[in-house]
Parts: sequence; C-alpha cells; structure tokens
Amino acid sequence: MKSIKIIIYSILVLLFITACSDDILDKRPMDKLDSEALLSSPEGRVSFLANLYYQLPIEDFLFRPQGGEFNFRGNNNGKYLPYSTDEAVHSEANVAGFLHGQNELKWWEEGYKLIRDVNLLISVIPDLTINEEERNTLMGEAAFIRAYSYYGLVKRYGGVPLIKELQIFEDDIESIKVPRSTEKETWDFVLSECDVAINNLPEDWYDGYNRRPTKWAAYALKSRVALHAASIAKFWNEAPLSGPAVDQGLVGIQASEANGYYQACILASQAIMNSGKFSLHKPTPANPQEAAENYREMFEDPALAPEEVIFLKGFSIPGLGHAYDFWLQPNQTSNGAPHPGRMNPSLDFVDCYESYNNPGQSSPIVTTVDGDVNNYNGFDKTRTYLRFNNPYEIFEGKDARLWGTVVLPGTVWKGKTIVIQGGYVKPDETARIEVDESIVVNGTTYYTFGGSDYTEYSGFKVLGGRMTKSGFSFKKFLSTIDVPPELNQSTNDWIEFRYGEILLNFAEAVVESNHNAQTEAAQALNSIRHRAGHTVDIPLTLENVLRERVVELAFENKRNWDLNRRRIYHKDLHNTVRKVLIPLLDLRVDPPQYIFVRRNAARERARTYLPKEYYRYIPDVGASGLVQNPEW
Amino acid sequence: MKYIHIIYRLLIILLVAVSCELDNYDGPDASFYGSILDYETNEPIEQDIINGTQIEYIEHGFANPITQYMVIKNDGTFRNDLMFSGTYTMILVRGNFIPTDSMEIEVTSGNNERDFIVQPYIRVVDANIQKSGNKITASFKLDQTVTNTVKGIGLYAHPEPTVGQPMNIVKSEQTLNVVTNPETVYNLEIDLTANSNLLKPGKQYYFRVGALINVAQAKYNYAPAVRIGI
Repeated sequence: MKSIKIIIYSILVLLFITACSDDILDKRPMDKLDSEALLSSPEGRVSFLANLYYQLPIEDFLFRPQGGEFNFRGNNNGKYLPYSTDEAVHSEANVAGFLHGQNELKWWEEGYKLIRDVNLLISVIPDLTINEEERNTLMGEAAFIRAYSYYGLVKRYGGVPLIKELQIFEDDIESIKVPRSTEKETWDFVLSECDVAINNLPEDWYDGYNRRPTKWAAYALKSRVALHAASIAKFWNEAPLSGPAVDQGLVGIQASEANGYYQACILASQAIMNSGKFSLHKPTPANPQEAAENYREMFEDPALAPEEVIFLKGFSIPGLGHAYDFWLQPNQTSNGAPHPGRMNPSLDFVDCYESYNNPGQSSPIVTTVDGDVNNYNGFDKTRTYLRFNNPYEIFEGKDARLWGTVVLPGTVWKGKTIVIQGGYVKPDETARIEVDESIVVNGTTYYTFGGSDYTEYSGFKVLGGRMTKSGFSFKKFLSTIDVPPELNQSTNDWIEFRYGEILLNFAEAVVESNHNAQTEAAQALNSIRHRAGHTVDIPLTLENVLRERVVELAFENKRNWDLNRRRIYHKDLHNTVRKVLIPLLDLRVDPPQYIFVRRNAARERARTYLPKEYYRYIPDVGASGLVQNPEW
Repeated sequence: MKYIHIIYRLLIILLVAVSCELDNYDGPDASFYGSILDYETNEPIEQDIINGTQIEYIEHGFANPITQYMVIKNDGTFRNDLMFSGTYTMILVRGNFIPTDSMEIEVTSGNNERDFIVQPYIRVVDANIQKSGNKITASFKLDQTVTNTVKGIGLYAHPEPTVGQPMNIVKSEQTLNVVTNPETVYNLEIDLTANSNLLKPGKQYYFRVGALINVAQAKYNYAPAVRIGI
C-alpha cells in the first residue's frame, strides 16, 4: 500500500515538473499586434501612419490652447487661439490670452509620445520587405512627421532633448535621460528632417492617398520653420532673457545666424514657387465683390482651391468634425445652436486693412469729421460724427478680404441681413449704448439693438454671449449651408499649408535679409493683393509685408506665432485692451442715419504679455533633470 | 434593525478614525523680512509688486528643490511670515539693480530681519509730478549708475498706490535708447481731457515716473508714487 502511494506521488511530481513548456510565459496577447506584425502589412502601415498624422500638432479647428490639446472635441465655450492675439475678443469671457499658465499651449508628453511612435516606425523600415520606392516614401513620411513634431516642440520650448532613435528601457532610468539640446541645434535638426522628407517624398500621391504629404508639403514646412528660426535669431535681443537656460544656449539664437535661416526659407519657398504645381486660387478677380467671394469660398471648401492647397487636414463625419459653426455663426444664423457668436473680430484687426483708394496704407475706420482715430472715450455729443445711410457704407472701398473674413453690420449672410447695432442717440443728444431700450420718435419705434426680439439681431445685447460685442461677426471658415446645431458637425477641411503663406514667407525673408530677389518678392506680395481685388502695386517694404500677413492669413492661427517669433507681444500688446466699433442709430436727424463710435471692448481687462512667455514651462523637470526655461 | 444602524455608524467612525495619522510635521516657524537698499543712499529701492523684482530662494536639504519666489512690495520692502527655519540659498536677479551673487542665509525660528544692499541701475531723482490745468506733468532727472543705455521713460497712472509700468490704466512713455546725462530734465505729461473716460474728474489717482535700463529682463526704476486729485 505504501509503495503505491509513493508511486502515485512520484508520478504526480513528474507530471508537474514536465507540465510547463519554455514559452508558457512568453504568450502573445490575442487582442494586440506587435510593431513588426503590424508594420509588415500594407494595411497595418496605413493605419499606423494615419494614427501618427492624427497626432500631428496641427493647430486647426480643434486646437484648444488651454491645456494645449489637439483634436479637442469637448465643450471649449468657443475659445480659440485668436483670442490670445489682437485678432478678436470673446463675446462672453475676458479671455486674457492663453499664455500665462503652465499648461497653456502645452505639448510635451504628447509630443514625445508621437516622437516615440515615429521612431518605432523608423526602426523597422530597414527590415520591411517592400520595394525601394516604397521604403524611401516611408522614410520621407516619417521624417516629415518627426520634423513637424520637433517644430511643435521647439517653437514652444526652445531647445529640447533630441531623441533620434527608439529608446529601449532596461532597468536603468539614467541611461535613457537625454539633456536638452541648444535651441539652434533643435531648429537645425528640424530643418535636416525637412530635407530628408523633401528628398524622399513623392511629388504626387496616387488616388485615394492624395492627402499624404508630398515633397511640396515638406518644402512648405521647411519654409515656415526656417522663417521662424530666423526670426528668433533676429529678434531675440528685443526681449532677452537670463538664467541657466540662456547661458547654456537652450533658448535663444545668435543674431548672426539669422541670414542663414532666411536664406533657407527663401530657397524652400522658391522651390514651391518654381515647381509650377501651385498658384493662387482665382488670382484675377473682375471686381472686389468677386474677390471677397473667391477668398471666402476657399476656406469653406478647400476642395475648390486645389491649386492653392499644399497640405490639409481632412474633416468628415463620421470621423472628425469641428464646432466652428456651432460656436461662431452670428446669432441670427445659428440654426438653433444655443451659444453662437463667440468670436468677435476686433477693431484693431479691422483697422489693418487697406482701402483701394489708398494702397499700401492701413486705413483705420474714420468715424468723425476731425478724423481722430485714437479717441476711445465713447460717444461725445460735441464731436461731429460722419453719418451713413446704412451700417456698411463706412466699409465701402475696403479690401475685399475684410468682407470675406468678417460679417459687417447690415450685410447679408446666409440669406439674412445681419443686424449689428449697439444703441442710438436720442433726439435730445443723449446716447443709449449697450442697454436694451426702445424709443418712439415721430410715431416710429426704434430699438437700441435694431430689433424688438433677440432673434432679430446679432450684436451687443448681453445675452449668454450670443451677441458680438465688437461690432463685427466672424465669417471665414463658416458654412453657408445649415449645420446641425450640435458640437462637431462642421466638416470643412483645414488648410495647413497654402500657397499664399509661402509667398508671404518668401517676401518676409527677402525683406528681412535684404536678399537680392527683391523684384520676385514684390511680385509675390502684389500677386496676393491682386487676388484681393487690388490693382495698384505697392513696394516691397517690411511694413507692407507684415500688414499683408495680418489680413491674408487672418484667423488661420498664424498670428500667435508671428507675434511670438517677432517678439511683438510684450511691446505692442502688453497692457492693452482690444478696441471695438459700435454702430449707433442717430435719431437727431430725420430720417435716422448711422454713426460709429470707436471704443474699448466691454467686459475686457487689459492683457499682460511677459517676455518669459515666449518660451513655455517644461513639465516635470524634477524627474527628468532638464533645465527649466527662464522664470518658470 | 436599530443595531445595524448603530453598527454601521460605529464602523464609519472607526474607518474615519483610523484612516489618518496626526500631522506631525512642524508648521512654518520663521518670519523673514527686510528691505532692498541702495548702497549709496541707503534708501529702499522702489519696485513693482506684479511682474517686478523677486527674491529667488532654494531651501537646502532636499534632493530636487524647486526655486521659490518672494515678491517685493512697491516701497522696496518684503516680508514672509510663513517661512520654515533652515538654510537657504538666495539670489536677487532680473531686478532693477545689479544682480547679487547667491547667498547662503540661515533663517532661524522667530524673526529674521535681513536687508539686501544693492546697486540700482538708475535713480529717478528730483521727481515732481503735479496737476497743471487739464494735464498731469512730471519732470525728473535720471542718475544712472551703469554705462548701459536707458531704453525709455514713462509716467503711469492708476487708482492704486501700486501703480507702475506693469499696472496702469493710462501711461505716457518715451523711448530714449541713450546713455543719459544726470543734468538732463525729462518731462512727461498725461492729457486729462483726452483720457476722461479712464481718469475721472473728482477722483484721486496715483502717478509714478520710471525709467528702464537696457539689460536683459531688467525692471523699471521709479520715484515714489504721488497721489493727485483731478
């Protein structure tokens, strides 16, 4: 009996010992693919790349500056990047720029996550069984993504750790810590990645994939990057910083480097301009009305302007929709959306536009006989105001792009006359501004806001932020057809690089570096103006180029970085309040006419812009051991 | 049924009672205060309370210490009554005076008075701000202690005594970019009529003049603020 027990136990022990095979602990998950399995199939590569493109830091319709989130589809109360600049005010909140907090414009962990993903792709490319052409293209795409990612980092943080290869973690955390490179090294790395992309990407993609970046998109990125780097070098001394990060060159570039970067911008821009592949959309309009519509339609539907679009990010439903129509349509055309009218273009911005009869000059909106455009003290009955028969006559002869970018008071948008009126002047010469009232004069009832019910107008009443408080409503990018009144139902594509920007990059680089392509740059500048209905050429000057950039690229989320790289924020915008234009019905005359008052925006505080904010706060330096940016 | 309730309550009390330990760390026990003084005149140096000069200090005894900042008041004094006693490295940089070297400072339990003697970039002297007619006029001289250029000068107005370049509702600024002569009298003015919506007649406002040296991240040097009824 005893021996049987022993035998049974022995068998059991034997069974247990031999039960495990070697690979029992190396099981592969059933619901996940490893990188080699995924990337070895064409479909896997496409879906992996699609995810990388999705993560690109493209500051499009879904960019949320607070927290620096991309593809943000939640409730942002219509707060977009232009509020940090002088382009617009928010109808409701005093959005005092997006530059003060540690998290604003942040893109750090997400950036390095994307870089890790693309490094993973780069690490397997040599081992894939694909033909040489496909391999080169894949290298080009990876380089484009990496260049774009490091550009997103360097413009925020200055010099950052350059992680060029996939890091493998093996117990020792110190071995994978990489210190910050200098700002110059980082910009140079971005430019060298652009070159890899340029050399490897195709000139065209085959059908169905034609939104992937081409050689020209890589040139466009290089043009933008080089201009940014050149500006940092040239304007660093406008707002110099101090501290360890400066001493080690982690922020700041020597002024002597500027011309080299301008040269790189010029060459990259010329490559696109000389390619014969691109041109401005409808470059020769018959009249300003046509020019305004040509300009506007390009942003409502970039598919109408394939000759101008170099690279775009697609929006569609199902998939990725955005909420511009939900938040930004005027009150009267909100189509039931509960919170329209958020983005209110400022008077500071509207003043930048030229008039056709005064080429080469910004034409501030003149409201009084004395022509004083610097008086923001509100209505003054002792001043003589210019009177107009309708609320948009004052804008006649202004650059067509003004009409294409903003909804002006009294103009027709989506089949409705958009009423924007801030009050009236009573026959007894007292003004009632931004209060809800009515008055009977000679048997006719007049309302301060131009209508008896809030559905009849789009301006100035304090009503849940539905009404513009600047006198202008936003138009560019909005849809002319009704969009369901829910979040993220708009589907127009976002143009990330377009030919117009390249021409302006080129002109700016030529002016700033006093390059000998002066004639070519003047042509570039004036071709954009001709598309906008101008007929008189203006000379190539820095002032002309910068004004053109403001009006041509308005609301394309370029302004924030222009103000940053040229170090304008702390000089021109610090401690200022945005200006607005208030249309008033003047009941002192019969029939009543319109007058306009230039004033500070209501419910706005002066904004602060500090030099340290040109470089963002780096998260978690305690753990990573990186040198923090100055004063954060 | 009643007992179950009592048991529940007892359980909750027990859970709450055992969940936390008594906080046995000592609270802040030291006060640290003093002034930023001009090495020649021994007068406090006027500052800005927001975005102005700050004392940077790092407490010893931690692996990855973060830099902390102490704000200096407009009159050039500072006070922190919630400091921990210990050893600190302090440095005064990015101010309106020549930066100090870093100093190791012992803060003991109780009161610690410490003045920092520094060299201001500019002294704004013989300042005279007054109302004449419908204008506020300011005249002053600049006595600069370094050879850098002076970027510019400004006259600032605000309802609070903390008025200055970062905190004003009306300003009148002038760009200089020159090395100034101590005998030159500078004049600035604010037109009250043109700013009647901001500087309301019958109210009191503070006015202050300042000048900015051309040094990376330097702050303005000021004369004391003056209160004027308009």
